[in-house]
Amino acid sequence: MRLLEVDGVSVTFDGFRAINNLSLSMGEPELRAVIGPNGAGKTTFMDIVTGKTRPDSGRVIWGEENRNLIGLSESSIARAGIGRKFQKPTVFEDQTVRENLAMALKARRDPFAVLFRRSDMPARLAELAEEIALTEHLTRKAGELSHGQKQWLEIGMLLAQEPRLLLVDEPAAGMTPAERTHTADLLKRLAQTRAVIVVEHDMEFVRRLECKVTVLHEGRVLAEGSLDHVTKNQDVIDVYLGR
Amino acid sequence: MTDATLALPSRTPPVRQTSTMVFLASLAVFAVIVTILAQQGVISTSFVKTLGKTLCLCLAAVAMDVVWGYTGILSLGHMAFFGLGGYAIGMWLMYARTEALVAPGLAAQPIPPTPSELQDAIGSQIFGVVGSSDFPLIWMFADSLFLQMAMVVLVPGVLALVFGWLAFRSRVTGVYLSILTQAMTLALALYLFQNDSGLRGNNGLSGLQNIPGFEDAPQSAISLAFFWASAVALALGYLLFAWVVSGKMGSVLRAVRDDEARVRFLGYHVESFKLFAFVLTAVVTGIAGALYYPQAGIINPAEIAPIASIYLAVWVAIGGRGRLYGAAIGAAFVSLLSSWFTGGGAPDIDLGVYTVRWTDWWLVLLGLSFVAVTLFAPKGIGGLVDLLTEKRRPERQGDYGPDKGAKRSEEGVE
Repeated sequence: MRLLEVDGVSVTFDGFRAINNLSLSMGEPELRAVIGPNGAGKTTFMDIVTGKTRPDSGRVIWGEENRNLIGLSESSIARAGIGRKFQKPTVFEDQTVRENLAMALKARRDPFAVLFRRSDMPARLAELAEEIALTEHLTRKAGELSHGQKQWLEIGMLLAQEPRLLLVDEPAAGMTPAERTHTADLLKRLAQTRAVIVVEHDMEFVRRLECKVTVLHEGRVLAEGSLDHVTKNQDVIDVYLGR
Repeated sequence: MTDATLALPSRTPPVRQTSTMVFLASLAVFAVIVTILAQQGVISTSFVKTLGKTLCLCLAAVAMDVVWGYTGILSLGHMAFFGLGGYAIGMWLMYARTEALVAPGLAAQPIPPTPSELQDAIGSQIFGVVGSSDFPLIWMFADSLFLQMAMVVLVPGVLALVFGWLAFRSRVTGVYLSILTQAMTLALALYLFQNDSGLRGNNGLSGLQNIPGFEDAPQSAISLAFFWASAVALALGYLLFAWVVSGKMGSVLRAVRDDEARVRFLGYHVESFKLFAFVLTAVVTGIAGALYYPQAGIINPAEIAPIASIYLAVWVAIGGRGRLYGAAIGAAFVSLLSSWFTGGGAPDIDLGVYTVRWTDWWLVLLGLSFVAVTLFAPKGIGGLVDLLTEKRRPERQGDYGPDKGAKRSEEGVE
């Protein structure tokens, strides 16, 4: 079933065409890796889908109701079910692990609902904390956690949001080989029940994901298919692998 | 340990928080002591008024702390809401008192006055100083205490709503927002300085210490009544804000302060939360102003000059932002110290060649202490409480790991 359809999207920054008539379709569930050299438009693509950047033309169609996401605020897109994992772990350091998770839990997000709802769903929280192995650290400030624990906390926050589509930016950056294996397994497991797009330029990591690959170059889709298929493509070899 | 951790509520409700309890108890003890001393004649009526006014300033500072210390919006225009609250209640006080003064004289005349004659007489009494006798449109509810009390809440609330909506929607943040709030309060002050603003120009509203209906009550009794009203307002305001900043709401507000963009990707409409904090604090600040000016006796546009709002931020910074009692302590401490220095309480220092007069030098001292607090004790006076309770919190600007993390060293900088 089709969940997300990016259709003919273009965006220009000060004359520089960052995304040029880009089209891409995602099913649910599906795992997809988006690769490409620096400046291929990977981050801009994520910015467009999450509402941070508004494209000059094109459509981003979402869900069963074929809703156009262009023009919606970041927060409405997040509420519609698109979660984003940044490269750096971004958690709220001054707040406890528990507060971080509670904030991310799927619930009504308007100020008055937040003000009057005092319970933070302890059962769901316990389950999440168990999953990310932070049960012992619930009352600690997120700022006191180690780098790896912060990564896990952020993943926990994403899970708490219960997104239908997960955008993950360079998950393998700065990780040890063991952590990479672990992360690849986690992403594959998550993709069994939802759509996951992994933006990555580490080929070796992409190979482990064993999924369909989209190669971006100069803001366009250069090739799409299995990793073996795209690595045999002459265009891909010229612009990316050939270097 | 796991079960125990999860069984706890996410945050202790405000009434069960130690700091709220201690604050409210100290406030009650303070109010009782002041009452006893005032009745014994140990402290003067004017000093009771000063203390009552100080409590109103504390309430404004607590509100400022919520909007700045918790939500990260450095509003340098909150005293505009304070002044508007004062003007709103001042209009009724002035109208009702002038009516009480004028009506007996007219009634004694052979022909009883018509309502419009009475209206004209009150109008020329109030607006004589600005060469007018007609009531401007904004005075249409001035004869009703209830409606003017509604204005105390509505006028600051609506102004904050409109201003905040425009500013937050355009994603104006940080120092630009601060400048915009300064512009707001300056524009309002300049407008009110005009004679045709309808609020008596630079004369402002005066005689507010005379409460209509209580002409026979001595000022000593009225000052105590207002002192208690201010104390109750501070207690209720403190409880309200302690409740707001506890639980998930407080969590989201602090998250907006530390990383706005991340909160958006969590699905929260950041602008609504900012607007909520801005409007709620504006309304409470308006109420504080409505209690302040009857004790001050006079309000004029100079009260909402940009510098007033900057003082408010200085009090909160010196008291320690991000904790409600810190803001209240800062406001009380600095404003009382300020009236001691500028009121001639501090002895001049004769250096032989130059005499340091504190009336002139107090501002320099305040400025230096503000810089010193910002640089050397960012937690302010409230930080001393941490020393007492041995509570070690991570530094707000600390570096925790390979990345600098979500905390920003400067307020509102993207």
